[in-house]
Amino acid sequence: MGAVAAATGRHRRRRLRYAAEGRGVLATLLISPAVLFIAALVGVPFGLAIYLSFTDATAGSLSGKWVGLDNFTGAVHDAIFRGALWHTFLFTLISQAVVIVVAGLLAHALVHGFRGRWFLRFLVLLPWAAPVALTAIGFLWFYDPQASIFNWFLVHLHIVSANNVPNWLGTPKAAMSSIITVQAWRTVPFATVIFLAGVSSIPQEVDDAAAIDGATGLHKFWYVSLPLLLPIAIVAVLFGVVFTATDMVVPYILTNGGPFNSTQVLTTYAFQTGINAGNIGEGAAIALFMLPFLAVVVIGMLFFARRAEVA
Amino acid sequence: MAWRSRAFSYGVVVPFAALLAFPFAWMAVTSLKPEAQVYDPTKVWSFHPTLAAYGFLFHHTDYLLWLRNSCLVGLMVVVITLAFAVPAGYALARLAGRIGRALGVAIFLTYLVPPTLLFLPLSRVISQYLHLSDRLWALVVVYPSFTIPFAIWLLMGFFKTIPQELEDAALVDGCSRFGALVRIVFPISAPGILTVVIFTFSLVLNEFVYAITFISSSANRTLPVGVPTDLIRGDLFNWPGIMAAILLPSIPLALVYNLFLNRFITGFTGGAFR
Amino acid sequence: MADIDEPAGAKRLTRRDLLRKAGVGAVAVGAASAGAPYAFAGPMRFKGRWLKGDLSIIQWVHFVPAYDVWFDNTWCKQWGEKNDVQVNVEHINNTLLDTRAAAEVAAQSGHDLFQNLHPMASYEDQVINHASIVAEIEHKVGKYGALGKASTYNPKTKKYFAVSDNYVPDPVIWRHDLWNDIGQSPATWDHVMAAAPKLKAKGHPIGIGQSQELDSDMALIAFLMCFGAFIQDEDNRPTLGSKRAVEAVSFMASLYKKGEDPAIFGWNPASNNNYLYSGTASMILNAISATRTPEQLNLPFADQLWIWPIPAGPHGRLGLEHVMGCYNIWKFSKNKENAEKFLADLCINYKQATLASQLYNFPSFPGAFPFSAIRKVAAADPHKPKGKYTILTTIAEKYTHNIGYPGTTNAAMDEVFSKYLIPQMFAQVSQGKLSAADSVRDTNNVVKDIYAKWKKRGKI
Repeated sequence: MGAVAAATGRHRRRRLRYAAEGRGVLATLLISPAVLFIAALVGVPFGLAIYLSFTDATAGSLSGKWVGLDNFTGAVHDAIFRGALWHTFLFTLISQAVVIVVAGLLAHALVHGFRGRWFLRFLVLLPWAAPVALTAIGFLWFYDPQASIFNWFLVHLHIVSANNVPNWLGTPKAAMSSIITVQAWRTVPFATVIFLAGVSSIPQEVDDAAAIDGATGLHKFWYVSLPLLLPIAIVAVLFGVVFTATDMVVPYILTNGGPFNSTQVLTTYAFQTGINAGNIGEGAAIALFMLPFLAVVVIGMLFFARRAEVA
Repeated sequence: MAWRSRAFSYGVVVPFAALLAFPFAWMAVTSLKPEAQVYDPTKVWSFHPTLAAYGFLFHHTDYLLWLRNSCLVGLMVVVITLAFAVPAGYALARLAGRIGRALGVAIFLTYLVPPTLLFLPLSRVISQYLHLSDRLWALVVVYPSFTIPFAIWLLMGFFKTIPQELEDAALVDGCSRFGALVRIVFPISAPGILTVVIFTFSLVLNEFVYAITFISSSANRTLPVGVPTDLIRGDLFNWPGIMAAILLPSIPLALVYNLFLNRFITGFTGGAFR
Repeated sequence: MADIDEPAGAKRLTRRDLLRKAGVGAVAVGAASAGAPYAFAGPMRFKGRWLKGDLSIIQWVHFVPAYDVWFDNTWCKQWGEKNDVQVNVEHINNTLLDTRAAAEVAAQSGHDLFQNLHPMASYEDQVINHASIVAEIEHKVGKYGALGKASTYNPKTKKYFAVSDNYVPDPVIWRHDLWNDIGQSPATWDHVMAAAPKLKAKGHPIGIGQSQELDSDMALIAFLMCFGAFIQDEDNRPTLGSKRAVEAVSFMASLYKKGEDPAIFGWNPASNNNYLYSGTASMILNAISATRTPEQLNLPFADQLWIWPIPAGPHGRLGLEHVMGCYNIWKFSKNKENAEKFLADLCINYKQATLASQLYNFPSFPGAFPFSAIRKVAAADPHKPKGKYTILTTIAEKYTHNIGYPGTTNAAMDEVFSKYLIPQMFAQVSQGKLSAADSVRDTNNVVKDIYAKWKKRGKI
């Protein structure tokens, strides 16, 4: 009896050990292709970009004289850069706040079937199905000082008079709100789909249990849905924030940083400095400036997400 | 309270759907205008509709070629992304402990570097080391660098919502871990995988900076590059043409996305939780 | 039939390989693209054999489609056959040229001949010295125009960092009917200031942009020059901080208040054109694209659009070029000899190009197509009022200067231009955010820093 027990015990331990090894090996095997790929295609250029930000490289050249922190200190002393930093913050925060609220509402409204849902969902998806570079050009037309259709509506609904139409791209506040609007417009479908996936994945039993307990509406949302949604929601928020902070298409095409640099964001300024004006080193420094801030934000949010995770 | 939920649904979705889709309605109107009347303030809604813009797109530009290129690149990038990201997402969600979490964060941090900066060193890599200059393969190789991290993260989220018990049950039944992965987890996470397909494809279609940098010849252009090049000459914007160019792929794409969404929502309720 | 693997320019494969691989397909592509508006000259059989050499060119999509058709299908084809070179031309949107240039340099591989619409002074170290090409052209058609030379020559390093084949004069385009109604004309800026309120009252403001875009940049820098304010002096030292600059900025702010629309702060390069095409603008500063398009679209006031040189200011009548085509050859080009010969031949024969562009492109080597000859062609233009385009030669001859006049175009000037510091300087004052003196002083400080930086790099 003892011998058999001992034998089975040893056998089980060996099996466990194998399983544990298999676990580690399997994990490495599964993760490494992705890691290697990203290291090669992002890590290497990223390293090069960091190097460039410490040099005075110009005109597309990938090497230059070492200047230490000059590019960074130069940036901090540059009024346009400081403005760009602030605008990036505003642009990202406000557009993504709008997106989260709208997407959250839409996801909850779209999860249950109702007549016409398919068509309405199709309409919601449209802004994201169109390539952003092209829709940004399209918005140039929508905001055109002469032919803006928004202004047409405003005038014909008698909200403003014909010689007092908003100058969507020409005054600092209007221009900022215009790029925020376009960025929110194109990101809402993206976030809605992610939220929708999350809301749909809430198991039916949870819904039923909540109903039995009498939790409805906002109450149910706050205490039941939100905690379950948190992993997916964090993903949506994070990606939205990161994509917006590192994207230059919308401000570049709509306002090119204007009027007088009041919608200049870090990415457009880095581009202008590095590519149009030929100061690669400075452009790299400007682009990399955000990195520590964003990294802190990202890590902070992930930490918070892990704390709040259910199951 | 079915009517309350229905009122909520309509009350929320209809206005937002109208706001989100209205620009496309206006795009459609503009695309039907003759070019000379586009600037005419008296002809905002009343004009003589014409399909000249669409004709121009098909006969005088390489529009169809750009569409084909974009689709080809998109599909291949989707395949590559899934191949890399599904295993990695699963591994990070289930198997790896602290190192895995750190790796997950590290992978995510790669997004923090804007492509507006990365394209310069990357163009050296593409041209000198990979010899893929001016080939669509350059895009196929580079795009996964920003679709894979996102896909991994999305799939991690999905895999985490699948209860561990399901897999453990399969393991107890004698499945190998890999078998459990294929037979149990993948089918349930089909919605997640479909979502990743949709997102990856749209990320590819939206990409602009790398497409400009690595591709120069007209035959290899993707959609976001070809349109500004051929429809904007110096300071003359061919607005009807541009609007037509945006509408043509967006509508079918939105339809396809909608279909996928439908599939995973209806598929899900009939899933493993009954 | 063409699969994703097929590189259109066949840079890695020889044409023989390409043809062996793709067989009929390649010839079909070449034949088909010969019919398309933006052709690239496909693999060519000439005299029963394949062409020996290679040459790849990249340039902008010309505003006049006929120019690209001439360039690709006539000029490049004929030159290629005559010189036994396979020429491949790519066209991209002009706003994307800067990005492409940076990418090609970073990759150390790209097109043999690269054209941009402004002299890429900051790329001086990446390109060959083009002096031999300039010498060859001067040998055949006479001296390099002062405008071209000042734009592409660095006196400090004694290097030609580009060769300009053409430039585009920048006139004012004004609505003769509207101005006639109030009995005025834009002869000087004072005239414009007097007319502006009346025009605005009639719903037809002046349209000089103050936005972060090319047209505003050009217009405002030229405006400064008319008032005697210059960004640099003839030794390429920054001189923006002057009383005249403050006067100019105040003048423009006042002009804005009296006679312009707030829309001018949010413009892109097409906006002032659209302003004109919608019938609103009474005057804009733009190349003749702004008159050619109304002619094409048969807009009702097309015949009322007059072309005049820039209005005169207290210091005189000084204008800039609207854009300037500049070709350069990278140090890493694989076909330098072919590129040099092509460029030289193009500039020598530039008369054909000017005609193909409908007088949009003026030759930077004036000898190729003398002003008097251009004027004759312009006089024959059928559009009303008769002879309206002849003024272009006067503008080109007398009132067009390089960016950075009285100095040369250099990397520092290029950076000031690319960062739109001048439109910012004006807009801040026009919108009442800063006083003219403060705005000029602040901008001058930034300009001085930029110049100091490039001086340290030894480029000026």
